Amino acid sequence: MEIVVCLKPVPDAETRLRPLADGSGLDPEGVKFVLAGYDESAVEQALLLKEANAGSKVHAVSFGSSRWTEEVLRAAIALGCDTATAVERSAGTPEDPLATAAALRNAIEALPHDLVLLGKQAGDDEEGLVPGALAEMLGLPHFGFVVDLRWDPASQRLKFGRSAEAGQETWESPLPCVIALQQAWNDPRTAKLPAILKSRRALLGKANPPTPTADHGRSELERFALPPPRTGARMIEYRTPAEAAEKLVRILKEEAKVFP
Amino acid sequence: MTPNLLVVGETAGATLSAATAEAVGVARSLAGPSGTVVGFVAGPGAASAAPAFGAYGVTRVLRVEDPRLETAPVAAQTRYVASAANAVGANVVLLGGTTFGRDLVGRVAVALNASAANGVTELEWVDETLRIRRPVFGGRATETRRLRGGRCVVSVRPHAFPIPNGPAVTSAVEAVPAADVPPGLLAAKRTTIESASGGSGPSLGDASIVVSGGRGVRAPENFRLVDDLAASLGAAVGASRAVTDAGWRPSSLQVGQTGRSVSPQLYIAVGISGAIQHLVGMMSSRVIVAINNDASASIFRVADYGIVGDLFEIVPALTAEIRRVRGI
Repeated sequence: MEIVVCLKPVPDAETRLRPLADGSGLDPEGVKFVLAGYDESAVEQALLLKEANAGSKVHAVSFGSSRWTEEVLRAAIALGCDTATAVERSAGTPEDPLATAAALRNAIEALPHDLVLLGKQAGDDEEGLVPGALAEMLGLPHFGFVVDLRWDPASQRLKFGRSAEAGQETWESPLPCVIALQQAWNDPRTAKLPAILKSRRALLGKANPPTPTADHGRSELERFALPPPRTGARMIEYRTPAEAAEKLVRILKEEAKVFP
Repeated sequence: MTPNLLVVGETAGATLSAATAEAVGVARSLAGPSGTVVGFVAGPGAASAAPAFGAYGVTRVLRVEDPRLETAPVAAQTRYVASAANAVGANVVLLGGTTFGRDLVGRVAVALNASAANGVTELEWVDETLRIRRPVFGGRATETRRLRGGRCVVSVRPHAFPIPNGPAVTSAVEAVPAADVPPGLLAAKRTTIESASGGSGPSLGDASIVVSGGRGVRAPENFRLVDDLAASLGAAVGASRAVTDAGWRPSSLQVGQTGRSVSPQLYIAVGISGAIQHLVGMMSSRVIVAINNDASASIFRVADYGIVGDLFEIVPALTAEIRRVRGI
């Protein structure tokens, strides 16, 4: 099975967010970018599928500024991905998820791809537009919010769960398709030192960035801002637990108006 | 030019989901007196759900009757949504931002050559384009974007907008002829669906109130305190990563960066210290209440109301008071 896994570098969750002075975006100064959480899970899932199905290969692709895509791609190689391809963000490319999807499509079309894996969303914009947009561009079906993915060689189908509001669904799908994972492994594998050293010398492929004028992505970021700082909780004073309960219920009913 | 909107409905049993109703409310206020709002519904339950648009004041509804969609992936609906948007001349396609809506937006946007946004909390029609605002970084920041290109596809964040109150009308429901769906999009099959309502209480993504328990609960058998509090409020139960890692509760209930992001009207954190991992999954909730015995816990910095105390005393008292007030 030829598996493509899409990786997005995002600001580390511990980053203190500072908007640029003109509000035009996040100030990148001093921000460390790391692999998005669900994409990290996608790498783990890709490697598990590879191990379970002899002869499989995993191809990592990433779009963004070359400094950070190179970092996450080398990390993916160190973990066991077979090839890595970067698509560099050019100056004119809009910060738009559909432009990201177009960039990833350019890379993926040049690779063998039975299965395209990615996280259901990334921890920065948390938008989750790329999986569906990418699948539509590639002409493939896609499934979002997927858990418990496995390949069943007997039926030649992927089998997986999908967690939706109405309940837990089970699905089977032939290849090729695009899968966006809801699954999170809180303890994915870590790379061994020799593999890390070897990954530094790995050759990274390159694919063409999308054409800003012709390709998708016409949303324009006007303002990036922090919400007014939370002032901290109003602490409820009480003498007995019953009094605390009574005061809180009154507040939820009369002040916050969220009591059912 | 005024916005002409198509609202893509999500069915919930024989009717429309609450998220769809909220999207209709948004559509009606964007359309104003001169724009139009058309409903659309496909897939299981479409026939019985279509007239439900009328309860929210939508007079025209397009209904897809294609048995192939019953078990097909949501992607198969893309062709229908795109042809409906073209047929009614919609320049804005709106959906509720549930898993259903979020899954469709990017796909439909590409099919319509439109711009797109998921999970928006504010919308404004300015100079013939849509300006949207949405929380990012787990509610730690917001972005404002202008959706250019003449057409856009947008999902609205659940619970961020009210369900519209009538006036109810009788919708004219039109059947949409079968579209040409590529066989590749129909090859997958949904084999089972286990209803979330089979358990007790609403599901995490859907609920307007969420009660979550953390490490402070100390043992799996104590988690019933959290369950009982949730039950008294008709709330969904969530958990911090410490709890799901320990196996006290399934990982599907984990709220946080590697779990689910929730944004209910009311979030009650019980015995949760407030690691950033957890905060990014719940910080955009409207009202946050924290109950913790450590007054310096970081959860109190994001909470609106706090009770410092022993959860084993506070939570049962709170459950009892809620039951008393609600008469249950």
